[in-house]
Amino acid sequence: MGVSLLHLLLVALSLTMVLPFIWMVLTSLKPINEVGLDTWLPSELRWENYKPLLRLEWLEGLWNQWFGTNLIVLNEEQEAQGISYARWYWNSVFVASCVTYLQVVTSSMAAFSFSRLKWPGRDKVFFLYLGTMMLPMLVMMIPNYQVMISLGLVDTYWGLILPAAFSAFGTFLLRQFMLTIPGSLDEAALIDGASKWRLFWDVILPLSRPGLITLTIFTFIGNFHSFFWPLVMLKSTHRYTLPVGLLYFDSSSGQQTNVLMAAITLSVVPMLILFVVLQKYLVKGIQLGAVKG
Amino acid sequence: MSRASQRKRSRREVATGLLFLAPNILGFLAFTLLPLVLSLLLAFSNWDLRLHNMFRDEPLKFVGLDNFSRLLSSDDFWKYMGNTLFLMMAIPFSIAGSLLAAVLLSQDLDGGSCRSKWLLVVGAVFVSGVGILAMLGAGVAAMTLLIGGVVGLILTGGTMGGSTVYRTLFYMPHFCAGVATYILWKKLYSPYSGPINAVLSPVLDNVSSAVNSLPPGVVQAGLWLAVLLVIVLFAFGYYRLFDWWRQGDLGQIGLLIAVVLLTIPIATGWNWLPVLAAGVLLLAVAGLLFAGLILGLLFGDRPFKASADEGLGGAMIFSAVLMVGMFVLIGLGSVMHHLPEMATDNGLEPPQWLSDPAWAKPALMIMALWAAVGSNNMLLYLAGLSNVPGELYEAASIDGAGRFAKFWHVTWPQLAPITFFIVVMSMIYGLQGGFEMARTMTQGGPAGATTTLSYYVYTEGFETGRLGYAAAITWTLFGLVFVITMFNWKFGNRFVND
Repeated sequence: MGVSLLHLLLVALSLTMVLPFIWMVLTSLKPINEVGLDTWLPSELRWENYKPLLRLEWLEGLWNQWFGTNLIVLNEEQEAQGISYARWYWNSVFVASCVTYLQVVTSSMAAFSFSRLKWPGRDKVFFLYLGTMMLPMLVMMIPNYQVMISLGLVDTYWGLILPAAFSAFGTFLLRQFMLTIPGSLDEAALIDGASKWRLFWDVILPLSRPGLITLTIFTFIGNFHSFFWPLVMLKSTHRYTLPVGLLYFDSSSGQQTNVLMAAITLSVVPMLILFVVLQKYLVKGIQLGAVKG
Repeated sequence: MSRASQRKRSRREVATGLLFLAPNILGFLAFTLLPLVLSLLLAFSNWDLRLHNMFRDEPLKFVGLDNFSRLLSSDDFWKYMGNTLFLMMAIPFSIAGSLLAAVLLSQDLDGGSCRSKWLLVVGAVFVSGVGILAMLGAGVAAMTLLIGGVVGLILTGGTMGGSTVYRTLFYMPHFCAGVATYILWKKLYSPYSGPINAVLSPVLDNVSSAVNSLPPGVVQAGLWLAVLLVIVLFAFGYYRLFDWWRQGDLGQIGLLIAVVLLTIPIATGWNWLPVLAAGVLLLAVAGLLFAGLILGLLFGDRPFKASADEGLGGAMIFSAVLMVGMFVLIGLGSVMHHLPEMATDNGLEPPQWLSDPAWAKPALMIMALWAAVGSNNMLLYLAGLSNVPGELYEAASIDGAGRFAKFWHVTWPQLAPITFFIVVMSMIYGLQGGFEMARTMTQGGPAGATTTLSYYVYTEGFETGRLGYAAAITWTLFGLVFVITMFNWKFGNRFVND
């Protein structure tokens, strides 16, 4: 196969992958009456389509609440609807960050216990963990929702964060990673009189950095995209996370294809940038995670 | 060391171990194990939010296996199960796509700096040409220019950055897949204002005028060609399976199940094909089956024998892939059959995609394929390809193997463990999948055509409020996943080690 032919095939495949995104960006810049036309190019670039999405009244509303100064007064409709794209964005980032933080902390401690400490019954508990990874998430969702009702956590951020914060997968991934760190390091540290906590904090954690980074990226992205659970948990529009908000936006103003595409562009582009920046870790992490077979 | 102090030490070790585990295990108990037990109880109860709420409080009852028997005897469940399996037919295509992408990416893209410089120049000329024309105001040709410019950009990037650039572009759809891209595709599929039909309708106009100018027999011949190909595929599969059985790689149970799988598309063919074609298909296959048996009995020397369940997993995957191929061919044949009558009326109309019950599932599958080609599977294959020892290729070259032979005899067997892993994982996720697509794009419609099992759980459990029934569905789903996993454990290793 000639190199040119190879490039031709690769370009054709890449084009298939990229074209929908190009249509998305171009449509987001069209005036509404040009949306259905055959040509993809807008006759003029309408950056105004992005304006309703980027309005930051909710932030100023918070400012009003806390400091009592009126920068801007929200009208009633805005207050009631609370549709604010920027707010949804913030909600998603906030929830995903909290989940990621908790998951990395609890998983790394559990993984340390499963990989570096010896205690009777350890492996049995670990296999119980592993077994639950086989269960479809759906099995847990219905009773979990009832648990959330009884805890009064429906329609709160905590209701989103808590169930996602303790993962068997993260524990598994980090355990596999920690097992590759040579055991002689532990002995050396213990002979020097380090406590188990010091061993964890000063020796094992710094050495597990690549594993921690991988888990952080996976967890953050996964929870940023998470849809089913926020969809059933969230009732008030201002608490929506981005995917739920987009769905709401689609059903409330889906006719304005150009603005809808602007919303989608704004949600996809940061992901793309994040991916390009972090892909080295991602690729390694995925390939590492599958070695387990 | 005395016994007492030893016991004390071990107790301290347990304490430290549990202390580190505590934050995780508490959450695990509260949000995984407790719901698990509750869910099991729910599945055997009649808890229904329409019966048990603040206005109406009927007693909560233990109903035994009632939920399950109602589920298994309901038409809806089997329909949605069928939908789920139908959508899963995209899996072989996406795996093949990932493998193809990985193989392309792992080739040597440089090919001598002279050639790549030439490519770079072509790319740069494209881009700058588009830039100049855009400044001058391109007008009508703008779309062509746009595509040309994008091609030029990708080519320039690919020539300079090598396979990393292409890999990044391939991976993009998978990375962004979620509600946002599903809404995007809903707009792409829009029948009257979406770009897909805008491209398709002039193409289809040409096709319909071509069909009209041909004598109807020529198009009909397409149907018979498809039927013939199905028979050939079946014969090939049947022959391979028998061959494996004869050579001791496959046991009786495996042979039986795999052959039954192979006949499924034929048996359901009469749903889509005209009576005559379906009849011919059935007769031909019955003949083949019969002939195979006779020949097997007459000349059935089996130099090696396998235990009854040997090679089951591999044979089933083999049959499943052929099955999908036969289904596709039968579908094409059916299209060919109806083409003349569709073309004569108003010319061919592009499909209504998501609002047409017949096209909604294929539409979702095309989108899933777009997202899946460059997915994690491609990255796994890339890692696998870089681990294939170079000596094997050298040895194959010495034996005079061509490009295709090298792939078939070196690359493919070396990648078998990865393929098996990917197949099993895709099946497990496929069974649970389809919720996000159904919720964002189709609401499970039209007429329930895209309702998968997971979407069924959502509507029953969270919209209707039949919690007990929904829990029963989730446990049935778990049963299926469990069977696949067990299957993997029992038969997977053997297949991979072959």
